[in-house]
Parts: sequence; C-alpha cells; structure tokens
Amino acid sequence: MWFFVIGDLFIFGVYFVSYLWFRSADHALFLDSQRHLNQDIGVVNTVILLTSSLFVALGTAAARGGNARHALRLFGFALACGAAFPVLKAFEWIPEIAAGYRPGTNLFFMYYYVLAGMHLCHVLLGLMILGFVMRELRQSRAPRIRFVETGATYWHMVDLLWLVLFALLYLMR
Amino acid sequence: MSVPAGSFASAAGVPVRPWYRSRKLDQWICFWSVPFFYNLFGLVFVPLSSMMPPKSPSASTQQIVGFFQGDHLLIACVILTLSLGLAPVSNAVYLTQIKRMSVSPAFRVAFLGGTVMGAIVGMTFPLFCFGLGAFRPGYDPAVLVMLYDFGYLAFIGSLGCFCVTWAMFGLAIILDRNRILPKWLGYYTVWQFMSELMAAPIWLTQSQPFGWNGVMTFWFAMLVYVPWQFIIYVWIYKAIKRQPEDELDNAPSRTRVRQRDTAGAAP
Amino acid sequence: MNTRGQRILLWIAPAAGALFLLAYFLFPIFSASLSPTQTPDEIAAFFHDHGSGILGVSVMINLIGGMLIPLFAVTAVQMSRIGNSSPVFTYSYILCVGIGTTAFLLADYCWGIAAYRPDRNPQLLTLLNDMGWFLFTAPVGTILMQNLCLALAIYLDTRAEPVFPRWVAHFNVATAVLFVPGAFTFLHKTGPLAWNGILSFDLRVLTFAAYVAVMFFVLLRIVGRQTEDVELRL
Repeated sequence: MWFFVIGDLFIFGVYFVSYLWFRSADHALFLDSQRHLNQDIGVVNTVILLTSSLFVALGTAAARGGNARHALRLFGFALACGAAFPVLKAFEWIPEIAAGYRPGTNLFFMYYYVLAGMHLCHVLLGLMILGFVMRELRQSRAPRIRFVETGATYWHMVDLLWLVLFALLYLMR
Repeated sequence: MSVPAGSFASAAGVPVRPWYRSRKLDQWICFWSVPFFYNLFGLVFVPLSSMMPPKSPSASTQQIVGFFQGDHLLIACVILTLSLGLAPVSNAVYLTQIKRMSVSPAFRVAFLGGTVMGAIVGMTFPLFCFGLGAFRPGYDPAVLVMLYDFGYLAFIGSLGCFCVTWAMFGLAIILDRNRILPKWLGYYTVWQFMSELMAAPIWLTQSQPFGWNGVMTFWFAMLVYVPWQFIIYVWIYKAIKRQPEDELDNAPSRTRVRQRDTAGAAP
Repeated sequence: MNTRGQRILLWIAPAAGALFLLAYFLFPIFSASLSPTQTPDEIAAFFHDHGSGILGVSVMINLIGGMLIPLFAVTAVQMSRIGNSSPVFTYSYILCVGIGTTAFLLADYCWGIAAYRPDRNPQLLTLLNDMGWFLFTAPVGTILMQNLCLALAIYLDTRAEPVFPRWVAHFNVATAVLFVPGAFTFLHKTGPLAWNGILSFDLRVLTFAAYVAVMFFVLLRIVGRQTEDVELRL
C-alpha cells in the first residue's frame, strides 16, 4: 500500500506543481475564478475529513489493542463522516455547474474539477475500503490487523491530499 | 542419468530442453511477438504517420489539411492492418497470467471484453480516420477537420475500455493469493486506470495543458504508462519462466492421462 | 457429452451460407462494381440507384456476420482441447474473432447508412463509402492472426491423437497468406490490389468462403470423434 500511496502522492504532486505554474502565468484569471468557489462547503469538507481520519486512527489503535468491537464502532463513525463528503460535494458542484462554471469554462475551473474530481474518486474508493475493513472487523474471528492498517493508510492519504487541494484551490491568494 | 533424446545436458548434468522443444513454446512465441508488435506499432504511429506525438487540437485548418497530404498515412494503415492481430496476442499473454491467479474467472472475462472494445475503438478506427483523410483528394476542409478530431479523440480519449482492462488486471494482481505477479505491480497497474482518467479532460478543451496533446493529459500519462509497459513485460517474462512444468496444461502427468483416455476409446 | 451443442453451433454456418446466397441472388448489387476511382457524384448516383438493394444486403450481412461466430466458437473450444501449455492461443483467437467481426459489421453499417438517405451531400456519401471499405479491410489482420494461432496450436499439439489433422494447420497458414494482399487496398485505386481488384476482393472473398466451408466439415468430423467432455480451460 505504501507503494501505492507514494505513487499517488507523486501523481497528485505533479498536478499541484503544474497548477502552480499555470497559475503564476495567469494570476488574475485564477484569482478571479477562485472567488466563485464555495469556501464554506470547502471548510466543512475539510473538517469532515479530518474528523473521519481521527476516527480511523482511533479505530486502528483499538484494533491493534484487540478490541474489535470498539474498532468496528469507530470505523463506523469514520465511514459515516466520510460519506458526508460526496454528498456535500454534490451540493457544491450542482449549483456551480448550473451557474455555468464548468470544466471547459477556463483553465482554473478545469484544474479545479479535474483535481477535485480525481480526489472525489479516491474518496469513494476509500469509503469502499473502509467498508471492507469494517466487514473484516465484524466477520472475522481474528481480524487481520495488516488489512486494517492498509485501509487506514489509504484513508489518511486521501485526507492529506484534500488538505493540500483545499489550500491550493480554495485558500491561496 | 541418461540424457533423453532431443535435449542436452546442462552443466549440472540435468537435461535441458532446447527452446524449440520447450513445453511452454506457445507462451514464448506469443510473448516474444509483443516487443515486435510494439516496435511496429511505434513505427506506424510515430515516424511513419507522424500521428504521434499528437498534433495540436488548436491547429489551423490549413495545417490540418496539410497533414493529410502524402502517402505516409496510407502506408501506416497497411502496416497496421497486417499487424493489428498482434494486439489480441499481447492481451492474450496478460490473460494467460490472470488465469493462473486465484481470483474469479470474471476478471478474465471482463478483461477480455475491455480489450475487444479497445482494439477497434482505440487503435484501428482512429488510424483509419487519418487514412480516410489521405485516401482521396477533394474533401471539404471541414470533413478533414472532423476526421482529424475523430482520430485523435478516439485514440487518446478512449478511456473506458482501457479503464476496465487495467482495473481488472490490477485488482486481479492485488487479490491474487498465488503471487503470480508482485503486489506492488498490481498497484502500479491500477495507476494505468488512473492515467486513463487523466486523459478524460481532452474531450473538454482544445488547449494546453488539458488538450489531447497536453502536458497533463498526454505527456504525463505517457510518463506513467511507458515504464509500466516495460516493467509488466519483464515480470511476465519471469512469471512464464518460473511457472512449474507440472502446472502446465501439457504437463507429462496430464498428457499420460489423456493418452489413456483416447487409447481406450472406440475408433 | 457436450458435442450436441457444438454440432448445433456448427450447423449455423451453412445457414449463414444459405443466407448469403439468397442475398447474392436477391439483391444483385455485387455485380455492379464500386470502384475507388469514382467521383463523389458517381458514388451518390450509385447509392441512389441501388439503395434498396444495398440496404437489403446490408441487413443480411449484418445477420451473417453474427452467424459466423458460432463456428469460430467451436474452433476455439476444440483449440482448447489441444492442451498446449496455456490457453494463450485460444485467447488470441477469441479476441481476434471479436475484433474482426466488429470491424466487419461496422463496415456493413457504413454502407447501410450511406444507402439509407441517398440524397446526402455526395462528399458525406463518399466518406461513408470509403469508411466502409477501410473497415472491411481491417479483418484481414485479425483473420491472418487467428489462423496463424490455430495453425501454431495444431503444430504444437503433442497428444498421441491430435485434435486437428496436421493439414488443417497448413490450410490455415495458406489462407492467412492469401489474405495478405487485401491489406494493400489503401495504396491502390486501380489494379488487382484496389478494393474492387482481383486480389484484394475476389480472392479474399473466395478464400474466406472456402475457408468457412472446409472448416465446417473439418470441425464436424472432429466433434464427431470427440470422446471426452471438453473441460474448457479458459
């Protein structure tokens, strides 16, 4: 999984760097377009993912300590939190698209949708992985800690990516 | 130990079969056809047709019309037609390894479906679009621009077929308990799926960096894809080599059983 | 024993052949030649005059293309019985069949679409017609490879009683070679290699018809001799 995480970070890293490069080439356009983003939902999503990551970390610790039932509950909270992310994303994007801010609108919005879109795919995959971890904790007599840790690592990566994304796309002036 | 006829003794005195008597000859023939095919493919798409690296989606009409002059696109079509059967062979090499994995047969079937889609939609028809533009003079520039768009968008923008193919392959490797291919390679294969997603924006814009010749959609995707292609073949070579002989479909133990069956059958 | 299913599948091929003969006599458009040197107006006139004939053939070829798949399927099943070290040849075969038939059908669609609204812009009709011929040429590559795969599988058959007689392998190689000229249609507008030429068209179509006929009888015999159940190792 670490191989995957590092590679994924590399791929996103290249996107982030190229974003910064093109941003510096047309600063005005990017600044102007950025104003149309919904910062409030962005902030809430950040909090959601951070909370979710916290639950994942606690859940992993519980699993390591042998308390599968407690771990299961914590992962459940993590999943519930994380599931709110795509829902909020829909609330964020549907009005934006309706207002005419689409990927083809300009370069900033292309980056915005591509980056956030790729990240969203990772979130959805992460939710599935959390689901599998929960199944492992519930059904297995001796849950494989390795698997739990793998899932947790992936989720933390998703969270980390969002933090960078949020800073670059929503906050940076 | 006496050396059976048709083989020769290695340094350790163990009989070694020459390559043309290898039990795995079918796999080796198909395996070695792949580098041959990829080189031919490269020849067709790069120097011969100059389709690759991709020309710009925002090229002028005049430039696009000029691109279709000359016979090189048609020669490229001839070579592609003769060699396109090798694409299924290279996919069959993947399939054969997936079959050895402990995962459900559904992965093979999905992979199979994806590659059939990809060969027409992502390889043959795009080059034919370019050939069509070169085949007869007198087409309206608008028609040529349409063929230009169709060719490039289909070639670089064929996402779904390859997404499913690499996803199935990658997942199969990750879930495989027989360790035919290493797990990290499974994750690397899943990125090929991502590199297809990375190409999606080409449908939405005509300029850098997200156009079909874009830094992010084409060049970066190539950076992710090309090393993987080499690496996967090196590892498949190892996998074929390492495959124990008694696992083969034509292993001696199985051939003896089959011979017993047919010997006892009525003529 | 699962030979009855295979026999049923095989007999679909003669049905396809019968349908083809029906199309040939019912819609005599094959005799009207469509040369690559015709101007857009001539092509437009062709589709206008022979519209219904072309549509009829188009529909029937649509069906015939699909009806050949069972024969190839039985071939693949028998190939898998050979038991080379892996199913790699069988996979290649199946993939080639899928790709080739798809290209063939798309070609058929192009002509059908051209005939559907013959008062289109002559340039569009020319484009559709050209597209049809390009796609019609593509299966040269797949048939070439699938025949070679079958031939190789037969050559590498180490069973005491091989599934296919050896001459079938030679036959497959020979037909593959006879298809090769067909790939050169892109470079010639006249002569034997043009898409209406002797080598690219007549030879190719006759070779294919002969191939299907011969393989039909070969497979019928093989299925008849099959004694054990086929365990599909795919």
